[in-house]
Parts: sequence; C-alpha cells; structure tokens
Amino acid sequence: MSKSVIHLENASIGFSPDNPLIKNLNLDVNQGEIVAIAGPSGIGKTTLLRTIAGLVPMLDGEMTLFGRNSKASRGELGYIPQRLGLIRHASVYHNVLLGALTSTAGAWFPFSFEARRRTLESIDAMGISEKKRTPIRLLSGGQQRRVATARTLAQQPSIILADEFLGELDEETMESVLSKVTNYVRTNNATLIVVEHDISRAKRMADHLLILDDGQLNPFVDQPIAMQISMRLDKELDI
Amino acid sequence: MSDSGSKESKSRDVDGDQVTSGDSIESKVDFIAIASRFWYSSRWFLLFIGLLVVAFRVTNSMDPNWGRLANTNNNLVTFFQESLWPPDWSVIEAQAYPPCLAAPGLSFTCSTAWLGMIETLKIAFVATILGMTISFPLSLLASRNLSPNWVSYPARFLLAGSRSLPSIIWALFFVIVIGFGPLSGILAMTVYTIGYLGKLQYETIEGIDRGPLEASKAMGHGWFERSFGVILPESANGLISQVIFMFEYNFRHGTVIGIVGAGGIGYYINLYLKFLQYDKVIAYLIIIFIVVLILDVVSIYARSLFTEDGDVRRPSWWSILLPPSMLRNKED
Ligand SMILES: Nc1ncnc2c1ncn2[C@@H]1O[C@H](COP(=O)(O)OP(=O)(O)OP(=O)(O)O)[C@@H](O)[C@H]1O
Ligand SMILES: [Mg+2]
Repeated sequence: MSKSVIHLENASIGFSPDNPLIKNLNLDVNQGEIVAIAGPSGIGKTTLLRTIAGLVPMLDGEMTLFGRNSKASRGELGYIPQRLGLIRHASVYHNVLLGALTSTAGAWFPFSFEARRRTLESIDAMGISEKKRTPIRLLSGGQQRRVATARTLAQQPSIILADEFLGELDEETMESVLSKVTNYVRTNNATLIVVEHDISRAKRMADHLLILDDGQLNPFVDQPIAMQISMRLDKELDI
Repeated sequence: MSDSGSKESKSRDVDGDQVTSGDSIESKVDFIAIASRFWYSSRWFLLFIGLLVVAFRVTNSMDPNWGRLANTNNNLVTFFQESLWPPDWSVIEAQAYPPCLAAPGLSFTCSTAWLGMIETLKIAFVATILGMTISFPLSLLASRNLSPNWVSYPARFLLAGSRSLPSIIWALFFVIVIGFGPLSGILAMTVYTIGYLGKLQYETIEGIDRGPLEASKAMGHGWFERSFGVILPESANGLISQVIFMFEYNFRHGTVIGIVGAGGIGYYINLYLKFLQYDKVIAYLIIIFIVVLILDVVSIYARSLFTEDGDVRRPSWWSILLPPSMLRNKED
C-alpha cells in the first residue's frame, strides 16, 4: 500500500482568479512514483510546480503534502527550477552546500562535516568536480543545470520537483544525470515530478506521463498523431 | 507647450501642400496623427524645457536681485589678491608645539594639515565600518522581498530618520551631547552612514534576481541562511562598491564636520577663518581638493573591481601587483 505524498483536490492554479491556468485539478502522486508532465509552452507547467513548492498561492481548492495541510517543511522538498535559481557570483560548492545544509541536523553551514561530505558527493555525481571552486556565472548552460540538480540531490529530499532539468545536455551526460536522479528516487523511495518536453524520454523515466492542456491534466494516450487529432476534433465538436 | 504648437502648424503646412488635390477631411486626420506623433517622440524633451522654464520662474519669485551678480567679479579679484593668494604653506610645516619627534625629512607629519587630514581619514574609516555593520542587518529587515511589511516599514523609517539630517547637523548634536572631539565626529558620521548606506543596500537587495530567493524558499532556508548564504553572495559586488563609495563620501563630508568641533581638518579651517587668515584656509582647501581627487580615483578603480558582470575574470588583489607574465601559468 503506497501512500499519497502529493494530493491536489479541485485545485485552481494560476495568477488571476478569473482566468486560472489550470482548473479543477485533481492529482494524486504516491510515494516512490515518478510522474512526468508535458504540454505546450506557456500552458502552466512551471506554475504548477511552483504551486506545489509553495511559491505561488493556490487560487482555489486544497493541497496536502505528506497528508499534511501545510507547506513542505525544511529540506523535505527539492526544487530544480527551470531558470535554476543559482547564485551567480558564488561557487558551485557554495550553491550545492545551500542544499545540503537544509537536511543536515543542527549545523550552520561552514561547520557541518556531513553537509560537506554530501556536497562533494553530489557534485561528483554530476561530473563537475573540477569546477567546484568556479563561480556559477563562468559555467556553461548544461553545467549550471547540473549544479542545480546536485544542489537538490545533496538536500536528499522526499519530493523532487524538476523543471526540464535535462535540458542543454548531450546524450551521454543526460543519461548519466538521469540515472543518478532516478536511482536516488528509487533507492530512497522518494517522489519525483518532472516537466519534460521529450515524450519518449518522459515515457522511459516515468511511471505516469501526464499532458497538461486546456487547463487540465490528462493521461498521455499513446496513439498515432492522426488519431489524436481526430479525437480532439471529436471533443471540440462534441460528437 | 508653445513650442509644440509652432511645430504643429509647420506640419500642417506640409500637409496642406500634399493634399491640395485631395479632400480636406483626410488632411485634418493627418494633422492630428502627425501632431500626436510629434508630441510622442519629443515629449521628454518638451518636459525638460518646461522644467527649465519653471526653475527660472521659481528663482525670480525669490527676488534674486540679479544686479548683484555684476559686482561679483570685482569682489572676487579684490578678495583673491588681498587675502587669499598666495596660500600660506606654513600649514604643512611642523607645529612649534608639541615638539616634533619625527625624522627630519618627515617633519611634515607634525603639521596641522597632516594631523587634521589623518584624523579626518580615521573618522571616515571608523564611521564607515561601524555604519556598515549596523546598516546591513537593518537593510535586510527593510527589504520588501525578505521581510513582511510590518518589519520593513519600521526599518525603512529608522533608516530614513538617520539620513534625514546631514552629518554636520548630527555632528552639532553629538558635540552638544558628548563634547568636542573626534568621537562626536565618528558618531555623527556613523549615524548618517547607517541611513544612507542602508538605503543603498536595501535597494540593491531588492534588485537581486528572484530565482535564487525562490529556490531558497522552496528548500526551506531560515532567515539567517537566506540572508548570509543567498543574499550576501548574490549582492556582494554591489554592497562592496557601495561601502567604498561611502568611505569616500564620508571623507569628503568629514572635512566639514570639524567646523562644529567634531574633529578632523575642519577644525583648523574654522580656526583660521575666525582669525581671518584666509591664506592659510586656502592652503587647507587646496590640500583637501587634492586628497579628495586622489581618493576619488582610487575609489573608482577599487569599485570597478566589483562591478563586473560577465565572462571577464575579475582581477584579484594579488594579480594587480604581479606582472602579467607571472600570472599566465597560474590560471586554472
Ligand atoms: N509571475 C507571474 N505572473 C503572472 N503571470 C505569469 C507569471 N509567471 C508566469 N505567468 C504566465 O503564466 C503562463 C504559464 O507560465 P509557465 O511558466 O507556467 O508555462 P510553462 O508551461 O512552464 O511553459 P514553458 O514550457 O515555456 O516553460 C504564461 O502565460 C506566463 O506568462
Ligand atoms: Mg516552464
């Protein structure tokens, strides 16, 4: 029996109550699951993740995390933003440490050996060890993305929200990053929601693939494109 | 506004030529379009002209007696020849008392100009450090992207209060409360620094990228970690260059506070003003001018090290001192 970790009920998500991006959303994500979300650009995928992360207030409805009716507590939730949110003038080490220290007990940052160990470990896992003293602004796009991923792994969260974290990576690096993250999720029985544009990649990594469209989150239907278009037409024409 | 009217009529003439064969309704529409386009493209310039006119009229309303300007030249020449020039450079000679203990070549370090200047520099330095120490936490509280309104407004009020009076008024206040001397100067400038630097700092903090803050919020950082782990490194360049600017600013203003007895070179300026020894005063002023100029250049250079944003590697302090050939193999 797996327990529901993220539970949304009749949720309205967006920025204006008159015109929400997502209406009446019901979503249940269980512990240990990997859910991928795809959908057209500007439809509200990032906004959905930010809402779950507690950064955007819900317009309507209910949300519970771990069965609790409150925001995730310190270190519980890892967020890899689409725009990464790294401190540009600080080093890779510093940025990743900021993740590690949220879940290492009783330590303020420069002094915790456990935080330090985890930081170095996840920097290493992302293959950017030789850059650990480099400020973020001097890194390439893909390297920066891996720093953001390392920061979340160092945090060892129970929920990971990843917004296109595999972008800008070559095939080989992408595979390695992907396997590190899915490994973490599987071995720790954590939960991962990932926004992913590449449908085949999304299907491969995820237990469920959801498509966000028309303000609704629907299961992905694997059918030839022609079929999908005709289904859509049917829906629109109300046949 | 009258300016725009004349241009409008000009554009109507042009239109009239064009539509002699056409109907008049179209020419009217065109005129409005062109007028509004003219207004739109030059509105900032017209606004500026308007402000100049207002400034002139305000001056007139204060009864400036423009005729007095006519004598300025004569006054200046007389004053200059009879009391200002040449400067009395005895101010950089050692004072008769207390006896100068410095090596013979360094006797200028016993002069009033040197002593006053060094004291002013010391006051500015201490006030900047103390002020920064107090203003940074206050500016964190005052930033609206970090603190709720009920915290940020009182903090802003405090900062606004301490910079609402110029440092010379604060100096006057502290001289009255704790007496003459550099300690009053330090306190006065510290208070002013808190207000002024604090404002610069919270504006910098409010201007930082929202991304790192959101990531920090999602991870669940506390106030302390967010302030010193996220905000401080993210805005460090701006904050450092503001502190350097503030030191320079405090030095410039520190030359004045001595006039009310709060220490520094201003003390001597005030002294010789009272004795009407303007040739000594001008010597001090020239020295201040030169030192301010030097400090200004140093400050601009020092700040340029902290304002970069891009792919250029910022020179570190030691790399400035070493020749480039020694640095090349140190790059990693
Ligand atoms: N802070 C905001 N305030 C108001 N509107 C916003 C805000 N942030 C995003 N939006 C709008 O919400 C809509 C959805 O944005 P969102 O970033 O969630 O899209 P997305 O599905 O992640 O798109 P993409 O695939 O391009 O990243 C967009 O139209 C955007 O303009
Ligand atoms: Mg997005």
